[in-house]
Amino acid sequence: MKNKFAKLILPAFMVTLLMLVLPSCEKKNETDNGKSGQTPAKTGTDMACDSCDSNPQNATDVPTPAPAGMVPVDVTYPAAVFVGTPANLSTIPNLEAAYPEGYVRPPIMAPKGTVNLARGKVVTGTDEDPIIGELAMLTDGDKEATDGSYVEFGPGKQYYTVDLGQKSNIYGIIVWHYHKTQRVYNDVIVQTADDPDFIENVQTLFNNDIDNSAGLGVGTDKSYIDGNKGKLIDGKGTQAQYVRFYSNGSNENELNHYIEIAVYGTPVQ
Amino acid sequence: MTTNNEEKKVNSKLDRRSFLRTSALAGVGLMTAPMIAGAQSSKKDEINIGFIGLGQQFERLFDDAIMKTQMYKTENIQFKAVCDIFPYRRNRWSKLMKAYKHDVNAYEDYKEMLEKEKGRMDAVIIATPDWMHAPMAIAAMEAGYHVYCEKEMSNDLAMAKKMVQTSQKTNKLLQIGHQRRSNPRYLAAEKLIKEYKLLGEIRNINAQWNRSVASHSVPLPKEKLWMSEADLQKHGYGSMQELYNWRWYKKFGGGPLGDLGSHQIDIFNWFLGEKTPDMVMASGGKDFYDYELDENVMSIYNYKTDAGSVRAFYQVLNNTSWGGYGNYYEVFMGEHGTLIISETTYPTNNGWFCMENYAKLNNVKEITDKWNKAIKDKLIGAAYDIPIDVKSKQVLVLGGTKMSKLVPHRIMTKYDKAVHAPHIKNFLDAIRGDAKLTCPGKIGYETAVSVLSANKSIETGDSVKFKHADFEV
Repeated sequence: MKNKFAKLILPAFMVTLLMLVLPSCEKKNETDNGKSGQTPAKTGTDMACDSCDSNPQNATDVPTPAPAGMVPVDVTYPAAVFVGTPANLSTIPNLEAAYPEGYVRPPIMAPKGTVNLARGKVVTGTDEDPIIGELAMLTDGDKEATDGSYVEFGPGKQYYTVDLGQKSNIYGIIVWHYHKTQRVYNDVIVQTADDPDFIENVQTLFNNDIDNSAGLGVGTDKSYIDGNKGKLIDGKGTQAQYVRFYSNGSNENELNHYIEIAVYGTPVQ
Repeated sequence: MTTNNEEKKVNSKLDRRSFLRTSALAGVGLMTAPMIAGAQSSKKDEINIGFIGLGQQFERLFDDAIMKTQMYKTENIQFKAVCDIFPYRRNRWSKLMKAYKHDVNAYEDYKEMLEKEKGRMDAVIIATPDWMHAPMAIAAMEAGYHVYCEKEMSNDLAMAKKMVQTSQKTNKLLQIGHQRRSNPRYLAAEKLIKEYKLLGEIRNINAQWNRSVASHSVPLPKEKLWMSEADLQKHGYGSMQELYNWRWYKKFGGGPLGDLGSHQIDIFNWFLGEKTPDMVMASGGKDFYDYELDENVMSIYNYKTDAGSVRAFYQVLNNTSWGGYGNYYEVFMGEHGTLIISETTYPTNNGWFCMENYAKLNNVKEITDKWNKAIKDKLIGAAYDIPIDVKSKQVLVLGGTKMSKLVPHRIMTKYDKAVHAPHIKNFLDAIRGDAKLTCPGKIGYETAVSVLSANKSIETGDSVKFKHADFEV
């Protein structure tokens, strides 16, 4: 019975722990527009998009009251960069609202002791010899958009897997693909598992593959414009040792780009 | 020893190469497209391309125009070589092309590439800093390759002229990257101006490209990737900043006029019937940054046409996003109407021909008949009721009183794909002998003279008066 509680009830409880609170809780050390010491720049996610749902109530990161006892997780964001002409995103289906101008993400609230478990951890992937970059760059803490910060996998469906080193409680995940230009990556799927082959206890935390082209099931999550704040995914208190990240090219090309992955959680005691 | 089959393959290859070379020459003056296209199988003969310069502009050409549109498949392009002085780029792009199963060699030195790829390459696409366009393009044409060269064709007019002369001497194609000249929407607009004469006589032109302070520079790569000072100096650069943001330095480029203005001032000349200006005066300022070339420029061009004179105002500002309509557009104002058009690919920015309302109110048949014909021919839409582009929420400023008001008609030709794709396609078609280049070197040279003279005017504080000979090659 205790075991069942740990497996079912506790994760459900932890879901409620991953809450986003009001912007007044913004941490002072976060890097954001105009605060980085560099020329203020417009973020990719701030660009206008005709097809986007402009109702802010439908955007992600909508704050909800935090339960008592939770503390903000220390997250730093890279400087916003945008190079080139804004892309025409009007034909991309299922695209979520862009963040409003000057949006500051509320902090992730989680139990005390929550850290980025992925930092410095081993990464494996379908492209062991990427076109540019090395797999270790995905967990090196560098989230910048510049050349030398991102890893480029070959065309088509690709994934990489982070081994957290031990079974962990996962409260939140932020993934950065590429934010130098406006991009929407296809078939973004995030799964967790107990084993590196993803056979045991496979959980899907995010899936925006609405036509099941990746073959992992039809997803109901929205596509999104990658930006300097990355994509925040609810960890739902899931317990797992391995986290896998899929993509299948972007609106720009068939290639797959990854800058950094952060998995916020605590080791299972 | 070569087997019979191998010999056949070699001969076939040679025949094809011979065909490409001769047909390209024919394409300069002949339109043999239907016959050739009809004779070909559904898969076109491959065209073997090398790329010189693998920076930001190359990414637009390669990613957006060639890969995203699948042109590399539909046009059967084979990537044979890449060349860049920066190892990071060279390694990345050669590996990427190999991932697509192309047999690509990577080079640091373009001369070595041109020499070693003889027999394997038909053409090169040059997207380096402006100052290297001329030596590279000239060497490529002299080595037997057709050339697609990004604009500005050079920041040195004497070298730009030499590019055109080399194209003429070698009979090699030289396409300059003023891509609006192949854009179906711009081609439709040109037809409506020249053939349908919707605007009447064009008297004034206004164009701009404005952007915020955030867009002024390209972020440098991680320091661990930087080239050594010695390697940079070997290739003429003093720092990675100069290599990545070369557009702001006199030695390497032409500033925002050469970068952005060049595209739009080229359209002035084109839509006025390949006219060249008589005079330009310009003023500029280094107001926010401390680059060598001015970030904010305003300029006025004078043209003499058969119907009188035309004034064209052009501004490129790097301190403000003001402007609307995608922040860059061209407006041609005639006595019968006005054209507003932009290259931006937002679906609603298709361009508008706006008729002077007095013609409608007074039923001036001379005007209304030709507009009605354009509507009947489905080149423009019916009069648009609301002077606002509803979806983009961008107001078209169309005047107030009944007699001083414009009635907008949307251009019906839509094009919202990669803006460089039709221009590269035109280059490939010309190589195959199926089309004439839409922007051959001579046109590019006339534009370069027009544009770079504005920089000269800023520098001297005087207007520049052109003689016809200034545009001759």
